[in-house]
Amino acid sequence: MTDTTSTSPTPAASGAAADINAVSLSVNGAPYNVAIATDRNLSGVLRNEMGLTGTKEGCDDCECGACMVLLDGQPINSCSYLAIQCQGREITTVEGLASRDDLHPLQRNILAAGGVQCGFCTPGMLMSAHALLETNPEPTQEEIRIGLSGNLCRCTGYAKIIEAVANTAAETPVAPPSAG
Amino acid sequence: MTEAMVPAPSEDVPAFVRADGPDKVTGSGRYTADITLTGMLAAKFRYAGVSHARITRLDVEPARAIPGVFAVITADDVPDVEFSYGIADRRLFAKDVVRFEGEVLAAVAALTPELAQQAADAIIFEYDELQVVTDLEAALADSSPLVHDDLDAYTITGDTPHGGNVATHSSITVGDAGAARESADVVVSSRYVADASHAVPIEPRAVVAQWEGDKVTVYTSTQVPFDARNGVCETLELPASRVRVIVPHLGGGFGGKCGFHYEAHIAALSRAAGRPVKLVFSRWEEFVAPDRRREGMIIDVTTSMAADGTIVAREADILVDNGAYIADASFFAQAAAMHVAGPYRIPNVRIDSKLIYTNHQPSGSVRAPTAPQGCWASELHTDELAAAVGLDPLEFRRRNIVRTGDVGPSGQTYEEIGLEQCLELASTSAGWGRDLPDDEALGVGIGWWPSFGAPAGAYMKMHGDGSAQIITGANECGTGSVMTLRMLAADEIGIDPSAIELIYQDTAVAPVGPGASGSQTLFNHGRAVEGAARQIADQLRDLAADHLEANADDIVLADGKASVAGSPAIAVDISELAATAASGELLLGKGNAEIRDWPTLSGSSCLGEQGFSSFLAPQFFCHVSRVRVDRDTGVARVLEVHTAHDSGTILNPMAAHGQIEGGVMMGVGQALTEGTRHGDDARQLNPALLEYKLQTIADAPSIHTQFVEIFTPNAGPKGSKGLAEAPNVPTAASVGNAIAAVIGKPVRRLPMTAERVWEAVEGLDQPDSSTDATTYTGGAQ
Amino acid sequence: MSFTIATSLDDALAALADGARPIAGGTDLVVGARQGKDPLPQNLVAIDRLGELARVEVTDSEIRIGAGVTHAQLMVDASVVDHCTAIADAAALVGSPATRNVGTLGGNVMNGSPAMDTGAPLVVLGATAELRTASATRTVALDELWTGPGQTSAQPGELCTALVMPARPATSGSAYVRLEYRRTMEIAVVGAAASVTLASDGAIESLRVALTAVAPTILEVTGLDDLSGSTVDDGLLASVAERASGQATPITDLRASDRYRSKMIGVMARRAVEAAAMRARGEAVAVPVNRATGVGAAE
Repeated sequence: MTDTTSTSPTPAASGAAADINAVSLSVNGAPYNVAIATDRNLSGVLRNEMGLTGTKEGCDDCECGACMVLLDGQPINSCSYLAIQCQGREITTVEGLASRDDLHPLQRNILAAGGVQCGFCTPGMLMSAHALLETNPEPTQEEIRIGLSGNLCRCTGYAKIIEAVANTAAETPVAPPSAG
Repeated sequence: MTEAMVPAPSEDVPAFVRADGPDKVTGSGRYTADITLTGMLAAKFRYAGVSHARITRLDVEPARAIPGVFAVITADDVPDVEFSYGIADRRLFAKDVVRFEGEVLAAVAALTPELAQQAADAIIFEYDELQVVTDLEAALADSSPLVHDDLDAYTITGDTPHGGNVATHSSITVGDAGAARESADVVVSSRYVADASHAVPIEPRAVVAQWEGDKVTVYTSTQVPFDARNGVCETLELPASRVRVIVPHLGGGFGGKCGFHYEAHIAALSRAAGRPVKLVFSRWEEFVAPDRRREGMIIDVTTSMAADGTIVAREADILVDNGAYIADASFFAQAAAMHVAGPYRIPNVRIDSKLIYTNHQPSGSVRAPTAPQGCWASELHTDELAAAVGLDPLEFRRRNIVRTGDVGPSGQTYEEIGLEQCLELASTSAGWGRDLPDDEALGVGIGWWPSFGAPAGAYMKMHGDGSAQIITGANECGTGSVMTLRMLAADEIGIDPSAIELIYQDTAVAPVGPGASGSQTLFNHGRAVEGAARQIADQLRDLAADHLEANADDIVLADGKASVAGSPAIAVDISELAATAASGELLLGKGNAEIRDWPTLSGSSCLGEQGFSSFLAPQFFCHVSRVRVDRDTGVARVLEVHTAHDSGTILNPMAAHGQIEGGVMMGVGQALTEGTRHGDDARQLNPALLEYKLQTIADAPSIHTQFVEIFTPNAGPKGSKGLAEAPNVPTAASVGNAIAAVIGKPVRRLPMTAERVWEAVEGLDQPDSSTDATTYTGGAQ
Repeated sequence: MSFTIATSLDDALAALADGARPIAGGTDLVVGARQGKDPLPQNLVAIDRLGELARVEVTDSEIRIGAGVTHAQLMVDASVVDHCTAIADAAALVGSPATRNVGTLGGNVMNGSPAMDTGAPLVVLGATAELRTASATRTVALDELWTGPGQTSAQPGELCTALVMPARPATSGSAYVRLEYRRTMEIAVVGAAASVTLASDGAIESLRVALTAVAPTILEVTGLDDLSGSTVDDGLLASVAERASGQATPITDLRASDRYRSKMIGVMARRAVEAAAMRARGEAVAVPVNRATGVGAAE
C-alpha cells in the first residue's frame, strides 16, 4: 500500500500560488499598507506582518475564539477571515485596548476578578466582551454568556470572566443621550 | 515526619493579582508560538496516518528536492534510542513499525509552514497494514494481534507483571472478598464504560529550537521543563549542560503538556537545517499526535453489603486503555484500582486492574489520571448500592466513608482527614433533600487524590536594595500557584511579596523540579522555596543581631523590619541590612524539598506496586450537582455545583477558587459532551472542537465552594495540599448521579451524552448490571 | 488567484460572469479551505459591501430579505422577528456572535447543507430564492434550488440576491427548534421549523413543517393538509411528531445515530409547532425558542 497524500487536514489554504495584493487597513488606529497573498488569513497577517501576537490561534474551525478581533467594531474570527477583505477597514486587537498609561477597565477587572489563568483565551475573550459592552452597556448575565459564547476557556470555568464583565458594566456609567 | 502547623485563616489573605497578569491581558506576553528568531524555519511532521503497519518504504528524497526545504529527518538521522517511563517502548521517529495514526515518520524544516507541509506530503510512505487492536477485552485473548511483539525486548523499570498486550497489571487484595460476598445480604454488580478524552489546552503546543555552537536552546510549551530537557538529553545523547529548555508563557496544560514530546525532534531538525526552527501544532495535531490523553476504561465492579448498607466487600476488574506506547501511564492500572475502591471502609477487597496496549493514541497523565472515570464508576455504583438497601445516597455514604483514624481499602490508616466535613458542607450548601422541579435532581460524588513527593530545589537572593529573587524550577501553566511561592518566601523574610521577583521556567538557571505536574507546585517547589528563604532569613537575623546588639534567636522579621521580639521599637529596616550585606557576605539561599515517604499499608497485598497503593497527604472532596434533564431528548444541563474540598490550608484563595471552578467545568464537559470516538481502524473520528465539544460559557453552572482547612500530617507549606487535579475528579460522578436521580437509572457510559441518556430512558443499549438481592431480608434502618 | 471587492451589484455580477465565486463572510469557504475540504476558489469577488443585498423590505404582499443580510441582523430585525420569527430563531442559533456578524442568509442558503439552520424556516414560510446574472433574474423554489448535500441548481454566474416570502395573516406564527447538546456553538443534529396559521376559532387553518439534517436536503413534511381544522393539542402534536419521524431518512454519523435522529426529529417538530401556535395566538415566546423554554432556558 502506498500513501503519498497528506495526513494532515491543514495544508496551505490554496493549492495554487496566490497573487500578491496591496492592502490598506487600519489596526488599532494606525494605518498599514501591506502586500499580502489573497489566501492569507487576517490573524496570520496581524501576527507575522504586523508583529501583533496578542491575537492567538487555537483551532482550525472557528470554534475557540482565541483569534477574536474587532472589524469595524464587530467581533470576527480573524483566523478564518481573509486579510484582503479588510481593505479600507478598521481592525482592533487586544493591543489596542489599553492606553499608554492605563489598562482598559475590562483588562483591570478580569485581573481583579481572577478571570485570567493561562491567559491564552484572554485576548479573544476581551475583544468579545468589549464588543458586547459597546452595543449593550448593561448586559444581563445571560447576555454576557451569549455574547462571549464563541470564546472557549479551559482554565477558569468562566465564572470569574462573567464576573469581570459584569463588574465592568456596573462601574461604567451609561452615557446619557448626547446633548449635541 | 510531621510538624505542628497552624493553618492561617484564608480570609486574611488579600486578593492576589498575578504578576504575569498585565502581560497576559495586554497581549504583550509571548507564548512559544509568538517567538520569531532571525532565519527561523517552519517545521511540519509527516504522520503515519495508519494505526498499525510495517514500514516497507520511507523515501524523503522528493521532499528534500523541493526548493526552500532545508532539512528532512527520520529515524535514520537521530541516535537509535528507545525511551519512555517504565517501559522503553518508543523512539522519536517510527522505525520498522507504526502503532498509532499520530506516530511521527519524518520532520521537515522549510522556509514557510506551507512549504514544509508540501514537503511532508511529498514523502513517499509505503507499508503493509497490520491488524489493529482497538477493543480492550479482545486485546486480552490469546488470539489477539499484539501491539508490541515482545515487551521483554524493551528495557523495563520495576517488576510490574506484563506480557502480551498487558503493559502493567496491578491488584489490591485485602481479606477474602469472595467469601464475604457469599455470606453477604445484598450484592450489586455493575459495568461502567468510559471513553477516552482530551486535555484540550486552548494553546496548541509549540516548540522553537536554536543551536549556538554545540549548545541548544529549546523554547517549548511544556508543563515540565526538566522532563523535556532530560528527554532531549536521553534521545539525542547530549549532556544536560548543553541543553537549555525555556518555557515562555504557557497557554494551559491540564496534564496534556506534561512529559517529553517534540523538543528533541525540533532540536534535531534545527541542527540538521543549520537554522532556528519553529513547530506550531494545529488543533487536529493537538488531538491526534501527543502521547497524552485521558484513558478509556472498562470497569466491572461488584459490591457486597450487609442489610443495613454496611459494605463488606468490593471486587472489581478494570481494563485501562494505554494506547500504543506507555508514555507515563505505567501507574494507571494501580491508580484506577484506588479510585474504583474509593474512600470507603471496605474490609475485603479484590481489585484487578490491567493497562492494555492498543493501537490508539497513547494515554498519559491528564488532570488526575484515571480518577474521574474511576470515581464516576465507583460513585454511580454507590448510589446503586444505596438504592438496593433503600438508603438515601448521603446517608449511605455517611455509613461507609473513611474518617480520621479509619483504615482504607488498601490498608492505609488515614490520619486527620476531612471527608465527612466535605460531605456535610457540600450537601448542606446544595440544600440536599429540597423540593426541585420534576426534571431536576441533586447528585453527589466523593473522591480522593494524593499528594506527591518529588525532588525540587530553589535558590533565592536578596539584592542590596532589599528586593529579592526566587529562582525555581516551578512552572506556571495558569494555576497561579507559582505566584504563591512569593508569598511563602515573603513570609519567611518579612518583606512584601511584591518586592520578590520570580525567575522560573528556565532549566539553565533553576535547580531541578517537577514543574507543573501532579498538583505539586506548592507541595514540593513551595517547600524548597521556604528552605531557601529561611537561609536568607537566618542571615538577616544574624545581621540584625549585630546591628541591634541582640540575640539572633530573638529577631523577628516582619513588615520590612527586623526587630527584637517583645521590643518592636528596637528595629532596623531589612533593606538597610540588605545594603550592608551587599558590600560584604551576600544574601543567598538554597532549599531542597525533603523527599516524603509513602505511608505504609497493613493487611493488604498489592501486586504491581507503582506507588499508588497508599496516598501521601491525600486530598478529599465532595461535589453535589443540580442537573436538569430533558427526558424527551436526553439533553442534560448542569445548573449548580456545590463543592467542598479538604486541600489543607488555602494560601491563595483566588487561585484556589479558580482551580475548583476550572476543574468543575472540565468535569462537566467530561460528564456530558467530551469523548473521543474511534473508527474500526483505530483512528480518531472527532479530532476537532466542533465534534469534540467543550462546554461553553453559556453552559457554565454556578459554582459554590467551601474549603475544609484542617491539620494534615505530611502536608506541604503551612499545611497546604495540592488542588489543581482534585476538582476534576468527582464532578462527572455527581452529575451522573443527578441524571440517574431524574431518569430513575444510571447512564453507565461516559460521557453521558444526550443520546446515551435517551437510550437509558428508553432502556436501550446499556452495559450490563444486576442487583442480586435474593438473600436480602431486611430493610433500611 | 484574483480577488475583487465589488462596490455595486453590477460589479459583482460582472465578476461572476467572468468566473469569480462570491464571498461574503467567508465562514464556510475559508474554514473549509483551512480544513483541506476544498481549496479556495481561484477567483473571488467580495459581495459583503453591497448595501442593496443587506436590506429587509416589507410590502403588503411580501417580505424580501437580501442575501447579504447577516445572521446578527436577522435575529434582531423587527420585520424578520415579526413576520418570519422562525428565521430569527434559526439565525440566533448559528455559531457565535462572530459567525453571526459575518455569516449571511444568502451564504447559508447557497451552501446547500442539509444542516443549514435557516433552510427549514425559509421552506415553511414559503420562500423563493432570487437568482441574478448580469443579464437575467429568475425566481427558484427552494426544493428546486437544493439538489443534494452541498449542491444547488444555481448556474455558474448566478448570484442569490434575495429570499422572498409572501405576507402572512396576523394570526400566523412560526418557530424553529433544534436539538442542542450544549447551549451555544452547536450545529444542527436535527432541527424543525413550523409555520402555523390559525382560523378565528383557534383551529389550524394551515400548517407547514420542515426538517433539518434528516435527509440529503431540507425536508418538508408532507400530507399535513388533513390536520387543517384541528386544534393544537397533544393529539395533533403527536401526529405531527409521528409524521416527521416517519418521513425523515436520517443517517448515522458522529453527531447521532439514525435511530436517535428519527425519534428526535419528532420531538423537535412537535416543539416547533407548539411554539409557532403560541406565537400565532399572540403569546410571547422569545427568540430563539431554544433559549426561551426547556433545558436551554436561561437560569
